[in-house]
Amino acid sequence: MKAVEKVRAERLERRFGCVLAVAGVSFEVYEGEVFGLVGPNGAGKTTLVRMLSGVLSPSQGDAIVSGISVKQRPEFVKERIGYATQEASVYPFLTVRENLEFRAAMYLYGAAVGRAVAVALARFGLEEVAGRRAGVLSGGWRQRLSIAQAVVHQPQVAFLDEPTTGLDPLARRTVWDLVYAEAERGMSAVVTTHYMDEAERCHRVGLFYRGRLIALGTPQELKEALRRRYHFFRVPGSDAEVWRARAGVVDAWQRGGATRIVLETNAPVPTGAIEEEATMEDVFILKIREENAHALV
Amino acid sequence: MRWSRVQAVARKEMLELRRDPVLLRVILVLPVAMLLLFGYAVNFNLKQIPTAIWDRANDRISQALVRELEKDGKFDVVYRVSGEGKLKRLIDRQQARVGLVLPPRMLERVRAGKGVKLTALIDGSDPTFAFQAQAGLQKAVGRLNARLITARMLACEAQPPPLTLAPKLLYNPEGNTAAFMVPGIIGIIITQIAVILTGLAIVREKETRMLESLIATPVRPGELVIGKVMPYLIIAFVDTLLVLWIGHVVFSVPLRGSRWLLLALVFLFVLGSLAIGIVISARSRTQVQAIFGTLVYYLPSIFLSGLFFPIEGMPRALQLATYLIPLRYFLEAARGIMLRGVGLETLLKPFILLAIFSALALLLAILSFRKRLL
Repeated sequence: MKAVEKVRAERLERRFGCVLAVAGVSFEVYEGEVFGLVGPNGAGKTTLVRMLSGVLSPSQGDAIVSGISVKQRPEFVKERIGYATQEASVYPFLTVRENLEFRAAMYLYGAAVGRAVAVALARFGLEEVAGRRAGVLSGGWRQRLSIAQAVVHQPQVAFLDEPTTGLDPLARRTVWDLVYAEAERGMSAVVTTHYMDEAERCHRVGLFYRGRLIALGTPQELKEALRRRYHFFRVPGSDAEVWRARAGVVDAWQRGGATRIVLETNAPVPTGAIEEEATMEDVFILKIREENAHALV
Repeated sequence: MRWSRVQAVARKEMLELRRDPVLLRVILVLPVAMLLLFGYAVNFNLKQIPTAIWDRANDRISQALVRELEKDGKFDVVYRVSGEGKLKRLIDRQQARVGLVLPPRMLERVRAGKGVKLTALIDGSDPTFAFQAQAGLQKAVGRLNARLITARMLACEAQPPPLTLAPKLLYNPEGNTAAFMVPGIIGIIITQIAVILTGLAIVREKETRMLESLIATPVRPGELVIGKVMPYLIIAFVDTLLVLWIGHVVFSVPLRGSRWLLLALVFLFVLGSLAIGIVISARSRTQVQAIFGTLVYYLPSIFLSGLFFPIEGMPRALQLATYLIPLRYFLEAARGIMLRGVGLETLLKPFILLAIFSALALLLAILSFRKRLL
């Protein structure tokens, strides 16, 4: 069965004066997919998400979200999506329930608001704090509420901008479980992050750097592509600087009491080196290194 | 205490201030503007008080009196009417603030050594103004008396003052300051609640990025603006009613005109003020900027509206500037309704101007509040 396309960015571009924040980005997100937009700070992830959600108009190109053009009919797009900003956007003086009711009322009316809030409270495990003011919640709970708000009306697509920034690993795991639970129900999620372990959690990942998409695929595909060009080893000792100076060594960095080295495929393997798997962090760093090398050329 | 740390903190503050262009502009402009406003606007020496005269004598004495009135620029005789009712109507409409009835055969009576009683109708709604106007009239009459006495003393024996002034304070004969101030207080409260609170309410959402979340929902700019201002509209109304009630019960402030007309006026003024609050907040990035922005609007309103300082005492340029202050029209109309008991037929001008202000402010608010970030 062919996957249903929920988001299609077509050479999307955004300029702020003479600064090119997003440079002709194209990709698709399918129904029920969790798509990670991964990139360093300032890469243009938030700008891209803002354009996709109709908050910011593109300078060039277009995006079709739930079958509607964000350029031509942003208001219609907004009815079909959910959006959570980088910081947990909650009203501190309102209770959890009131926050949800307010957001639900932006999309629904009458009894549907109450029903949607009840569902969101249950799905996001917020019932126990429903009567508490959002301002007194911990970061994890607040983020949970923020995402619950973004999807309270059960949108077809949710854009979640760095939903786990500043959260502890347990809270982060909870957030991802919640995102996946919604995806299981058919919602597509576009999640931005700069945490590489989180990139591993996505169905597919777009690596975003300096406003451009420099890699696109499943985490497995990206890592395998990397392994075809580099080998990863762990060697004893903590002299990364020395390793970096050696021929055939692409990169080296300290990890615990050992050093992780990246070798070109034809480089000789050092004695005592233990081969390791490529990680998304490797993809991230090496892809960016390649980009920078090209930029210099 | 380590001085280097204090210096580092102070330097950081200065850098932040320097790099906030809006705040920097306000910090530099506000004191200068305040000084100029205070220097020019705070002037209790009234000039060019619009005056109407019913000259029943039309002889040399009455003409001499008019010349005396206009001599030092305090009074400007802008209307000559026939009938006390017409004088009163001009004062009701605020086209004149002093009306003088000059009785018939003044010359004859002075020549005959009989006293002449001049009736002066003075707008007493502002006790300070009434006192000054009365003093100005007394001075002009005194000068003419002195001339007449001098002239008569040369001819014959000393006489008592030929002209006497009988002032009649309209609207507020007891000189109740509260009666004058309460409409002004309502104006201040509305300006504060509507402009400052609305300004802060929206920029606060901007600062916490709540506005971005809202922009991403299907809510329309109009819905957002109306929803945002509605509570403040209600608060402003409740506060107005509270002030009116306290003013009436505690300070015996009258409400002589239609209460519905007053509420309509309040509605119009609140609407315009709320819109100004939205404009300020839409153009501010932080709450501090919004506070200073509201001050830039609020302070000239206080100084130039005629709330504390009579417009007649201001230089011509500032008097013209007062036409840009909506609070001026509100006060004109509120005092008209509450103290003079006049209706819409008399207050059409301030009502129309206030309606134009509110419509323009609302238009500007909707234009300023764009639902997309850029």
